[in-house]
Amino acid sequence: MKDRIELVASGFGGQGVVRLGQILGEAGVKQGLRVTMLKSHGTEMRGGYVRSQVVLAKEVVDSPMCECPDYLVALSSAAYNRFKHTVPDNGLIIYDPDFVDQVDDTLPCAQQALPAKKLAMDNFGKPLFSNSVVLGAVAKLLEKEGAIKKEVLLESLLAIIPKFKEENKQAFELGYKSI
Amino acid sequence: MKRFLETGNFAIAEGAILAGCRFFAGYPITPATELAESMSLRLPQVGGVYLQAEDECAAMHLCIGASLGGMKAMTATSGPGFILYADPYGWALGCEMPLVVLNSGRVGPVSGITGAPGQGEFYNTRYPTQVGNFESVVLAPNSAQEAMGMVVEAFYLSERLRMPVTVLADQLITDGWEDISIPETEAEMKEMGLRVWPRKYNPGPDFYPATDALDIPPVQMGKNTGGLCSDWTPTEQGYDIEEVEDHHKHAYRLIFKVRNNRQLFNHHYEKKYMDDDPDLVVVSYGTPSRVVNTAVGRARSQGMKVGSLRLINLWPFPEEHFTRKTKYLAVELNWDGQLVREIQRTVPKDSEVHFLGICGDLPTNQDLLETFDRILKDQPLQRKGWEWEAW
Repeated sequence: MKDRIELVASGFGGQGVVRLGQILGEAGVKQGLRVTMLKSHGTEMRGGYVRSQVVLAKEVVDSPMCECPDYLVALSSAAYNRFKHTVPDNGLIIYDPDFVDQVDDTLPCAQQALPAKKLAMDNFGKPLFSNSVVLGAVAKLLEKEGAIKKEVLLESLLAIIPKFKEENKQAFELGYKSI
Repeated sequence: MKRFLETGNFAIAEGAILAGCRFFAGYPITPATELAESMSLRLPQVGGVYLQAEDECAAMHLCIGASLGGMKAMTATSGPGFILYADPYGWALGCEMPLVVLNSGRVGPVSGITGAPGQGEFYNTRYPTQVGNFESVVLAPNSAQEAMGMVVEAFYLSERLRMPVTVLADQLITDGWEDISIPETEAEMKEMGLRVWPRKYNPGPDFYPATDALDIPPVQMGKNTGGLCSDWTPTEQGYDIEEVEDHHKHAYRLIFKVRNNRQLFNHHYEKKYMDDDPDLVVVSYGTPSRVVNTAVGRARSQGMKVGSLRLINLWPFPEEHFTRKTKYLAVELNWDGQLVREIQRTVPKDSEVHFLGICGDLPTNQDLLETFDRILKDQPLQRKGWEWEAW
């Protein structure tokens, strides 16, 4: 992997943005990487703005800021619009079209729709598992980077979310295949 | 050594337990709530006591009580709770009770923004209570790992100096996750530079001697030694009195036990690229220093002669780092400028002192590099809205 990988996930409170960062970070530690995961949020538990900034690195992380994220996971229009310009040319934005209705075609980076909520609704009848779909997609990307193995990320997901293991696993696989 | 991903709050709880803390009282507040939560889980496992107080004032008073009973105690809060510590903080200073206070900065004033970092309590931690006639000891880590270490160190200093010691963190440290190593043996603690001082008790008859000496143990209830714990003036033998002469002796000790023993903590700082008398010294503490260190490294590779000075021991202010006449830039997570005032007070005459203040988020490398460049070229700092301020 390269020396440092930055991933920003942002959306509403309650979507699992912080949990996503935590699971990713946990997997990073299991892979022997140095990890920081900053979270910022409003006062509300649900519905407010939330952002996770994950840095995975070979050496100790100096700045924990994701100034030029390799990956932006946008789970709301506000998050998409707020952070889209930080993604460099070789970066990738993954967005859920259920939440991001207007995609900016002028951006220099790659963008890919990931219908995480729709996949969760179609397969499990609940939006609850969309977060695991997103994690599956992220697993694919980080595996390609040579940073985190798919099994390690799945193991972290199942360890941190001890409920609905089978559904979470299936949702993860759906995400992994969808990107 | 255990290594895992956890929040700074969790790491701080583990540090406190390593230091021998067995009592925690607090009142929940973002971004220090998970510290109380961790303590409520961990303290009973090690034979300690966790108590949720009705408010912050009660929480710190409870800690004083525990400390008077011979326990190492700690409380934690954020800015809006720290101001409620004002009364008990004075009691702890005046009665010379060791305990540790963690303050995790968010965006103020008042409730402000809970889930974002701020550094608005630089002076508040220096003057945490009324009136004056005392010194304060404040340590400011910049990561979860260092926060764990600084809490252990705060307990060490609080015992040796017989006073409350504040650890000033910020929301990104306490609420952020990082890979953290927790030592499991004394050898591993030593390897990490962590030191522990045991609790002792004062057998009398001199409970409050007018001396700057270290290692005078605190008064302890239940030992049948006598000795005073009150908000009035104690005589050396621990009687209650209101006499200026006695109070002067008392204040002498509160001030000079710290000022004359700075060797205990004034090695807590970090310097990068400071060996060649840089044209610009960038001064910071807490989380922003991590971006500053990165930016200073990049500035060097672009040929800018910039150095980074990170303060860990914030108070008493380490004036010895500011003896050279050069350009200084304070980078802080506030918009009013606090650290910058102290630098301005300390530097040699005709030094240039600048300020870059951002609150609620960290400055970016780009912000910093542009600022370095302008200062080095003697150009005025560019205003980009309200976040830039030429001091």
